[in-house]
Amino acid sequence: MKNYVLIPEALVVAVALVLVLLGRAPRRSRRWAPLAATVLVAVALAVELWAGSTLASYLGGALVQDRFALFAKTAVLLAAGLAIAVTDWSDEGAPAIGMAMILLAAFGAMIIASATDFVGLWAGLELAAAAGVVLVSVRRTDLGLRLLVAGGVASALVLIGLAFVYATTGAADLLTVRRAAAAANPTLPLAIPVLLLLGGLAMRAGLPPLQFARLPVGLGASPLGAGLVIGLVAAAALTVAFKISASLLPLPAVFSPYLMVVAAVAMVGGGAAALATRSPRARLAYLAAGQVGWIAAGLATHYRTGLGASLFLLGAFAVAATAGPSAMAGADVGEFALAGMGLLRPARAAGIALVFLSLAGAPPLGGFFGEFAVASALATSGALWLLALGLLGAVMSMAAAVGTLRAIYLQSPPDESRRAAGARLPVLTRLSTGGAVALCAVLAGYAVFANPIFSLADQGAEALGLR
Amino acid sequence: MILAGIALASPTPVAVPGAGIFTSPLILSLTIWVPVAVAIGMNFIPNPRGRYDTLMKQIAFFTNLGIVFVLFIAYNQFQTFLPGMQFEEKLPWLASIGVNYHLGVDGPGMTMEVLSGIIGISSVLASWGVRERVRSYFTLLLLLQASVNGAIAAHDMFVLVLFWGAAVIPAALLVFGWGGPRREAAAWRLVGYWGLGTAALLVAAMTAYAASGGNSFDMDVLLKATLTPRVQLAVGVALVIAAATRLPLFPLHGWASHVYSDAPLGVSVVIAGSASRLGAYLLLRALVASDPDAARLMAPFIAILAALSIGYAALVALRSVDLRSAAAHLAMVPGGITVFGLAALTPLSIAGGVLSLFTGGLAAALIVATAWTLTDRAQTRSLQLLSGLAPRMPILTWIFVIATLALLGVPLMASFPAETMILFGSFKTQPVWAFAVAAGLVLTAAAVAVITHRVLFGEPNRDAPPVSDASLGESWYLGVMAGALLWVGLFPGGPKLPGTQQPIFDPGLINIMSAGISDIAAPYVPPNPAATQ
Repeated sequence: MKNYVLIPEALVVAVALVLVLLGRAPRRSRRWAPLAATVLVAVALAVELWAGSTLASYLGGALVQDRFALFAKTAVLLAAGLAIAVTDWSDEGAPAIGMAMILLAAFGAMIIASATDFVGLWAGLELAAAAGVVLVSVRRTDLGLRLLVAGGVASALVLIGLAFVYATTGAADLLTVRRAAAAANPTLPLAIPVLLLLGGLAMRAGLPPLQFARLPVGLGASPLGAGLVIGLVAAAALTVAFKISASLLPLPAVFSPYLMVVAAVAMVGGGAAALATRSPRARLAYLAAGQVGWIAAGLATHYRTGLGASLFLLGAFAVAATAGPSAMAGADVGEFALAGMGLLRPARAAGIALVFLSLAGAPPLGGFFGEFAVASALATSGALWLLALGLLGAVMSMAAAVGTLRAIYLQSPPDESRRAAGARLPVLTRLSTGGAVALCAVLAGYAVFANPIFSLADQGAEALGLR
Repeated sequence: MILAGIALASPTPVAVPGAGIFTSPLILSLTIWVPVAVAIGMNFIPNPRGRYDTLMKQIAFFTNLGIVFVLFIAYNQFQTFLPGMQFEEKLPWLASIGVNYHLGVDGPGMTMEVLSGIIGISSVLASWGVRERVRSYFTLLLLLQASVNGAIAAHDMFVLVLFWGAAVIPAALLVFGWGGPRREAAAWRLVGYWGLGTAALLVAAMTAYAASGGNSFDMDVLLKATLTPRVQLAVGVALVIAAATRLPLFPLHGWASHVYSDAPLGVSVVIAGSASRLGAYLLLRALVASDPDAARLMAPFIAILAALSIGYAALVALRSVDLRSAAAHLAMVPGGITVFGLAALTPLSIAGGVLSLFTGGLAAALIVATAWTLTDRAQTRSLQLLSGLAPRMPILTWIFVIATLALLGVPLMASFPAETMILFGSFKTQPVWAFAVAAGLVLTAAAVAVITHRVLFGEPNRDAPPVSDASLGESWYLGVMAGALLWVGLFPGGPKLPGTQQPIFDPGLINIMSAGISDIAAPYVPPNPAATQ
């Protein structure tokens, strides 16, 4: 069974490479590519679920397969597969490159999920981020450049942080760092690099107020590109944050306060901004930022239940934030872009509605379950002020989601003559309709099967060494 | 007969023939998940250009009829001599944080379920006139009803928060989509206040969870844990905020007037009738029944809020120039009375409060629905134009009068024993505020008298638009609610076989609601001096 564990990674990379090569093939011969890519990602997901429960290590211990890796990789594969399936490919400038980049980003996140040292974490994060830059640049070179510069700053911060942590603890291996942290005291030389590291990760995840590139990119990129930046890259950064937090667990004083501040700003800022904006895609981006805040809040509790809850929420977040922009397709100018979608594209409309509700943490979807679990961890750890701020953000997020639902289901579709470029209806294909139905099923199933999923997330937290 | 009903409020075991024979483990889940499944299923029925709109209405109606049938079985199978939870369902949900899918009802819960069933069917009948986006409307209405049923049956704080919060979305969308001219303001206010209430409920749940060791959200564990006075106060305040936003109570009543005035009729009926009663039910379940120390601590504060709510609502109704707005404020009065009964913390007042949950829900829904229908038929909401309608609207006049009498709690109405029990029970523990509540009821009576006289029995206004009486359909939904109020008023203990104590088909709401009240009220029974000597 051990030999099968790396099949998902191999399959994802192989498909990505074939797609890159296929980018040069005539357009007609590429029609089947989305379906084929979706099927192959589904196969990779099935193999991951079948063989992924085997505990193993590879490449001299640089990568491990444990419950955390199983959970994170499953979430990433699910998100990537659904994003590919639900995308309106007529709206993507370079479909083959788009699919390849989202698969490479997924591969980067999978590397992070299995990594046991700083090198693996950094390499995976850079790969995911680079795929985002490429995909954004396909449509808007200026935005790609902007993302590259902001990403470069984030990358530098992460790298400096990792280097200084290495210098302070004397190890780049997460387990050794943890042992060193257990024997050390929380000192300023360790606190400063952790601040830089978390700052870089917050910038990668596009958390308020560090969303210099994420929001304009999220608005200007193609739907798939926006999903990649808002969802997968953020999920990759969060996975790094999980691993770093777990390795520094004996010294919560050096990371927990930062995470609490980041979480508070993200939860309240994300909710308020989502309520204030009228653009559906910007609203989705802000709701996603608010949910990332909840995940950070769970990490800040620095114990197993909190991390387990955050991991559960990460799964819901990755699927909703990655596939959400693709489900909305070209709707990015204002609420009227989604008006009447419930009538015109019912499956897609249901997918969008569930994405918004899940990201807003509205009952009864996975986002609500995850945020409730994080809230219980916050209450148990005594961070009631953070819980109160989170609830404030959640109320605003829910109001924002209600506004979107209203546009989708209660407003009449605009006249075709009024449909601007940003309000174009997605082309109806069997794959995208099936993808939208699958997205609905996954988001609903995340709540229905919350018990086993949460149990796996809890085991994932345990695999990181938490008791 | 009515006074006999009051006497029965002290739990007297009544063996109902057949009780307990049929105990389905899914009876409460059926009332929650059947509407959800039907709501989802409705969206898969092709409905080109609204061709099958009537079918959608029929599906919603028969779903509610089915739920009423299930509830009728549950009501008759309910074992009135058992104090604990019945029809319990318990499954692990998020086991690692102590969340269970735990449902169950005791006497007050069963009373609320019956109320929800009656209100559910009335709301569908009241929505029969909906013409636009019929499928979406009934989908959301069924989801709202399911949320209310879920919140009533919830016996785990997670499940309660889930359904409590879930109600916000369909309710707001229904107001947004099918409301009156000021629906935007009404819907946003609803989202804001109910969202605040959900957050407050979550704070209460989390504070109690953390203080009780963080093991379980089950109400049996969470709300029975020994907490410090400080934590009790924090939980109590959060619960009161949650309840006050939902019921509503002054000063968190900002949504009520707008929503009751501008929501579509069927939605107003559900919100006024059952969804808002959840506020008082929450106080009963989570404060009065579970945490006597916190309840004693908070009781004066809650009593003040109740008295202020009644007085404020009556004064605003008295000065209102819009009949729907006046009715919306009058609909706040039963909630204040219910909460006052719970805050008085005597066995009699608590029993009255529980009965008032039922009667208050019906009275509030009836006054809102009647005012809505009347203004619709009269083509104006202005109290300056509405005058002397009784000769031209005999059916609506009768129902309006019944609604106002139910609000005031006059004999023959189900609200009479409820209000009598509350006032009799509260003068010992809350004399000042009982007097204030009584004064508020006098003000309410004055407002009702002024409005009724002006609208129905005044000089006909020749400048007013033409009017017509209620249609047969409108008479049905109003009649169901008025009939329920009269039925319970006439037979609080259920109709009996002549010469026996055996109930015929209705074990009597008083008997049903009494099951469990002795347990709830036990901590508040004054010590017996004879027993202590």
